[in-house]
Amino acid sequence: MPRLSILLAALLSSVPAGAAEPLELPKVSFNRDIRPIMSDTCFHCHGFDAKTREAGLRLDIREEALKKTENDILPIVPGKPELSGIITRILDDEDPMPPEKAHKPFTAAQKELFRRWVAEGAEYEPHWAYAPLTKPAVPAGGNPIDAFVQAKLRERGIEPSVEASKSKLLRRLSLDLTGLPPTPSEVTAFMAQTSPDAYGKKVERLLASPHFGERMAVWWLDIARFADTVGFHGDQNQRIYPYRDYVIDAFNTNKRFDQFTLEQLAGDLLPNATPAQLVATGYNRLNMMTREGGAQTKEYLAKYGAERVRSVAAAWFGSTFGCAECHDHKFDPIKTRDFYELQSFFADVKQWGVYGDYKYTPEPELAGMNNDYPFPPEIEVESPYVIKRLKAAEANLKTHLEQWRASQTQLSSKSWETELAPFLTQHPEGWITPTATALLIQNGKPVPKSVIEITADAAVKTKPAPGKGQSLEVTLPCTELATVSSLRIDVLQDPPTTEKPTDIQISLSLVQADGKKQVVSIASADARIKAPRYSGGVQAIGIEKGWTLPYKAVQGAVSGLYILESPFRVRSGDKLIVTVTGSNSKPLRFSLSPLAALEPLDTASKETLSALATPAEKRTALQQTAVFETWFTAGAPDPAALKTAHTLAGAVRDLNEGRTWTMVTQATQPLKVRVLPRGNWQSEAGDVVLPSTPSFLPARLESTEQKRLTRLDLAKWIVSKENPITARAVMNRLWQQFYGVGLSAVVDDLGSQGELPSHLDLLDWLASEFKDSGWDVKHMIRLIVTSQTYRQSSSLRPELKDIDPANRLLASQNPRRLDAEFIRDNALAIAGALNVDDIGGPSAKPYQPADYYDALQFPSRDYIQTTDREQWRRGVYMHWQRTFLHPMLANFDAPARDECAALRTGSNTPQQALTLLNDPSFVEAARLLATRLLSDATSREPIARLHLAYQIALARTPKPKEIDSLLSFLIQQQTHFTQNPNDAAKLIRIGLSPIPEIDPIQLATWTSLCRVILNSQEVITRY
Amino acid sequence: MHTDAPFHNISRRSFIHQSAYGIGGIAYSLLADQSRAASALGKPDHWHGALQQAHLPVKAKRVIFLCMAGGPSQLETLDWKPKLKELHDKPFPESFTKGQQLAQLQGAELKARGSFTNFKKFGQAGTEISELFPHIGSLADDLCVIRSMQTEQINHDTAHAFMNTGSIIKGRPSMGSWLTYGLGAETQDLPGFIVLTSTGKNGQQPISARQWSSGVLPSKFQGIKFQSRGDAVHYIGNPEGVCQSTQRQVVDEIKRMNNILAEEQNDPEIATRISQYEMAFKMQTSVPDLMDFKNEPKEMLDLYGIQEVGDGSYASNCLLARRLAERGVRMIQLYHRAWDHHTNLEAGIKESAQAVDRATAGLIKDLKQRGMLEDTLILWSGEFGRTPMGQGTGRDHHILSFSNFLVGGGIKPGITWGSTDELGYRAVENIVPVHDLHATMLALLGIDHHRLTTKFQGLDVRLTGIAGKVIKGIMA
Repeated sequence: MPRLSILLAALLSSVPAGAAEPLELPKVSFNRDIRPIMSDTCFHCHGFDAKTREAGLRLDIREEALKKTENDILPIVPGKPELSGIITRILDDEDPMPPEKAHKPFTAAQKELFRRWVAEGAEYEPHWAYAPLTKPAVPAGGNPIDAFVQAKLRERGIEPSVEASKSKLLRRLSLDLTGLPPTPSEVTAFMAQTSPDAYGKKVERLLASPHFGERMAVWWLDIARFADTVGFHGDQNQRIYPYRDYVIDAFNTNKRFDQFTLEQLAGDLLPNATPAQLVATGYNRLNMMTREGGAQTKEYLAKYGAERVRSVAAAWFGSTFGCAECHDHKFDPIKTRDFYELQSFFADVKQWGVYGDYKYTPEPELAGMNNDYPFPPEIEVESPYVIKRLKAAEANLKTHLEQWRASQTQLSSKSWETELAPFLTQHPEGWITPTATALLIQNGKPVPKSVIEITADAAVKTKPAPGKGQSLEVTLPCTELATVSSLRIDVLQDPPTTEKPTDIQISLSLVQADGKKQVVSIASADARIKAPRYSGGVQAIGIEKGWTLPYKAVQGAVSGLYILESPFRVRSGDKLIVTVTGSNSKPLRFSLSPLAALEPLDTASKETLSALATPAEKRTALQQTAVFETWFTAGAPDPAALKTAHTLAGAVRDLNEGRTWTMVTQATQPLKVRVLPRGNWQSEAGDVVLPSTPSFLPARLESTEQKRLTRLDLAKWIVSKENPITARAVMNRLWQQFYGVGLSAVVDDLGSQGELPSHLDLLDWLASEFKDSGWDVKHMIRLIVTSQTYRQSSSLRPELKDIDPANRLLASQNPRRLDAEFIRDNALAIAGALNVDDIGGPSAKPYQPADYYDALQFPSRDYIQTTDREQWRRGVYMHWQRTFLHPMLANFDAPARDECAALRTGSNTPQQALTLLNDPSFVEAARLLATRLLSDATSREPIARLHLAYQIALARTPKPKEIDSLLSFLIQQQTHFTQNPNDAAKLIRIGLSPIPEIDPIQLATWTSLCRVILNSQEVITRY
Repeated sequence: MHTDAPFHNISRRSFIHQSAYGIGGIAYSLLADQSRAASALGKPDHWHGALQQAHLPVKAKRVIFLCMAGGPSQLETLDWKPKLKELHDKPFPESFTKGQQLAQLQGAELKARGSFTNFKKFGQAGTEISELFPHIGSLADDLCVIRSMQTEQINHDTAHAFMNTGSIIKGRPSMGSWLTYGLGAETQDLPGFIVLTSTGKNGQQPISARQWSSGVLPSKFQGIKFQSRGDAVHYIGNPEGVCQSTQRQVVDEIKRMNNILAEEQNDPEIATRISQYEMAFKMQTSVPDLMDFKNEPKEMLDLYGIQEVGDGSYASNCLLARRLAERGVRMIQLYHRAWDHHTNLEAGIKESAQAVDRATAGLIKDLKQRGMLEDTLILWSGEFGRTPMGQGTGRDHHILSFSNFLVGGGIKPGITWGSTDELGYRAVENIVPVHDLHATMLALLGIDHHRLTTKFQGLDVRLTGIAGKVIKGIMA
């Protein structure tokens, strides 16, 4: 930030250090004073990019700048500004440099700086961010951070600010480390502590909280451009949340940052990679992707490759490689070749330019993929969150069955078993294949000339195969059966064919002898062999809604099992009609059974059959349970209880054994990467490049024809001790989290167009310490938050306004408006509604304005808000739709995460006010906070309730002024709602949470008050 | 430091974040030497624009961009190619297409598809326009039809990005954001950049909020999309059971709390927050007023061909656009998602033409009769064009030629600009790349496109990238 540096330099250098001392200007520093100006104004024509260099003059390298130019001029003569060409031109009003057309004229102060710099010898310094990293000596003082900061303050004669109040500190610490406010009991306990190490202990407790990982994940997920959707065109859902769980877990377990780096960039290349390490490689898959028909594979692979370079460079180098896609960087020594060499490290990441098998861009591997499909490659992994839900769901089902069983004193399975016995003797496998008749139907009428054949193995075969709009109606006489409980369909595919995928959907009805017809519902259905079916990227577990066979043919018969929701007693002449739709050309065989199981695939299992064959008194406990469950499901002694059981069993099955899918990196034959002239993806003219680390950074690694470097080599180099930039970039961003501004404020550009750090020695010390500590993130955070610099009051000091307008010397803390996710977390936590028990898991969908996705297509979709506890999950879990980010997140400056976003802008807008005032999430939170206040047994009076409200929301007691004002406001609101009880009733209905049994007028009055609290600047700001 | 770009030398990131004592997120304290800053300090909530004074004569004060999303066929709208019609269904000459990027037609056998419709000469200018657009045609003497547009992006998503931001790199501000950043808005109680969308019955393609994103500019410059259902602006309506007077009381009480906070906490964001709540409250009244069409007479609805006001149709949006223009909104963008005719071109174009012809003409006439057309710049354009080769019953995407028209503020009326080869495959005369269109539009608003910039990652980012030439020939 050249302007500021110059202002500061000018200001500081003109302020005498002491009144009596003569004025002495500090030496001009190339990095601080000259490089930023050169970078902004000179390098464009006289810098790194040879193609645009003019007059043969190059100013970024000293020895070049001392050489005669093409015009025979000596640009710089050290010590002799009057003989230096650049000074002459800078001072030339007729034909100045920079030229007028650049619209960047020098100020008088800038001209003078240049003159002095040349006069002082025109010394160059290597760019700070790329220079080797050495650990600076710490000035005297306690915490090294304080030592560096205070040394600089002392130079200016500035005292640090006083420490913030205890309650403010606790709130600051809680919000910074966990994104949550302290609970009232935490406040009380902390305020009561007098021991000097109370603060330190609190730091440790918060660092150990599982919410620490959730808070830090927000920091990293912006960098990793984590989102739930692919971003381009149809912006379909992608499956990736286990990666987010990995990130949360990494921070919670304090995974070393070097390991964190290796796993994300190259976890798949680590020896014996663990599932978590594979999940981590989802990082490489978070680039935006397209499925747009007509998109060109090669073009999009070029886009993906380029994005990956930009994101990796931004994440680990704090560097702006983007420009180098088309030309050598104008301001930094980043060459086009560097760009493509970095890209080529990732040339082995398996992906498709266009995620569909279109006729104009055939991708046979993606055959059958539609807009509901996910984005391979993926792996199936266990999700701790889903396992937790699964255990709960299983317990629910078990309890339901056990309770029903225990409650049965009258009913027993005996008569059912007796009735069943002859059937099982006749059909020991539990199934009967009735002689079927069938018709091919279109528009309710048989299709003429269609031939239905019943094959030797009793299957129905149609000629021709059913076409579009046609269905196969199969009639199955229910003879020999007393009860029909389930249906099995065998698809006979001998010999196997590899034509179109087989897709079967069925519906059932029962026709009685008198012709009466009724629908028969299917409770659940499943098949062992099936291709996945998706809706909006979500996989259907069973085959109730349709059964797709794998595209590649499977040898032999495959079976689908359908469990009837209500098994029916067979009366003479009953027939079951199976209507089959979908594309199928294979023979189908239909069988019926009086047996059934809650898990369809367990129907008529060997265990069940042998239990039934065992005399009752000889059955083991396991067998008794098997018989009981079969009777309960197939005999349906209690249809209502059975229906509930099916629902509960469905919930278990939906949780897919606790497993879920996630995108990962799979290494494949690397694509050829060429330098693309001006980024033109169609060009084949550029050189083919191999992976190499950036040429301008130390300890460069280069591929050879014999040995191609890998992503793992890159990752290892990134975290090597020779690479100076990663630790600087990461520490600079970490600093920003705790002070609102990075030590170098332009955290996403540590290059020469960025800003020289306000405290370079401190940043270098932090970066060195980070490495020395074993890349220990918690250690660094501990150092930061225990420093006195962090603990200062955040009230700005008017007397410093002119000396340090941007508070870069850190004579006080900076207030920080909470990031979008934490604005919501904080409000919900204050309301007592936030779901803090669950860590990790799939994305949740809180309230969102209707039709927000109406411009989305392929597929068109509705946003279905979550209706259970998922509604109040933390912001880090909110569904991240790249093209239409949730308005609450967008209004509070959360990035769409199309690409790496290292810095959120901090705006202050009317949209934010509207969100906090009117978004149902916040209105409901206000009502829930009101409920909390009104239900508190110890705070019965308004004033006591206000005290409680402040304790909960701000960890402090209210001021008398606040109490006075709020009490008048309460009276005003009470009057209003008393006169308008309908309004009160409406206000307290907002949101999904149940309405408490509290007087609606009271509740509405206090809801109004709580809206004020949740909207106040102090609540949404970390002071 | 250059005088008319006060933030020129301040990195965006730092001007946002180094605002410890700043106002509204802008480091005014750094600009103490700027007289402008002093006046801005008096009105912390109102942004007057980064330009202190116009670089160029101001011909237009606002822009209405009628975005025909999906890519209308120029061959059925604005570019008459009789030779193509003669060649209909015959092989398309390979000399035209060799080595060119195609979308869905890549690798397919290419056949010419002549226009299914006829063109008519309209107005004194005799501008040839498809007879499917009689109302627009009747205004030919006001229009400047460009037949030589070219873009660089052949797929919808990226082509929209290019048309709106001049780049396909994410995070580049869209034109409306540049305008509100550069010029501010004339309204204080509505957003300066508003987006309306409507959907046709066919040829729909998705669009993305990225297209009206402020990108690397502060988010206050982002486009606000009005919803077709529910609240026009997200969260603009009071919660149920909260009347306007109660809301006012709540806002007042928030202000009191914030003022009490300001007594002990020195933080300029508090004052900004208070003013943002005031503005939010104003928006809560002005938006319903804006959306209340009951004073629009029947003739007015007929002029636009509106069946039912507020039905979310393109016609209704056109009327709303006029109301927004009247209220001082700087940029109004209408998307009509109805033009991606890979199949059923004939039925599709007819239907879409019917949906937009009368309403577009209605908007132009209405602005004209109010004397607003002279300082309102209207652009009617897709994100790309269509191939002169057929694709089944439709046409594929095409980037080497497409047509659009401009009308209003500073535009030379009754002219055509540029032309394509005899088959309409490639623009050959007075080619207009998207950057040149942008440069020209900015120029009409008084902005030198080289000089409206923001620093991002070391670059002076601008709408026209590193290109852009003002097309003097279409300027009045």
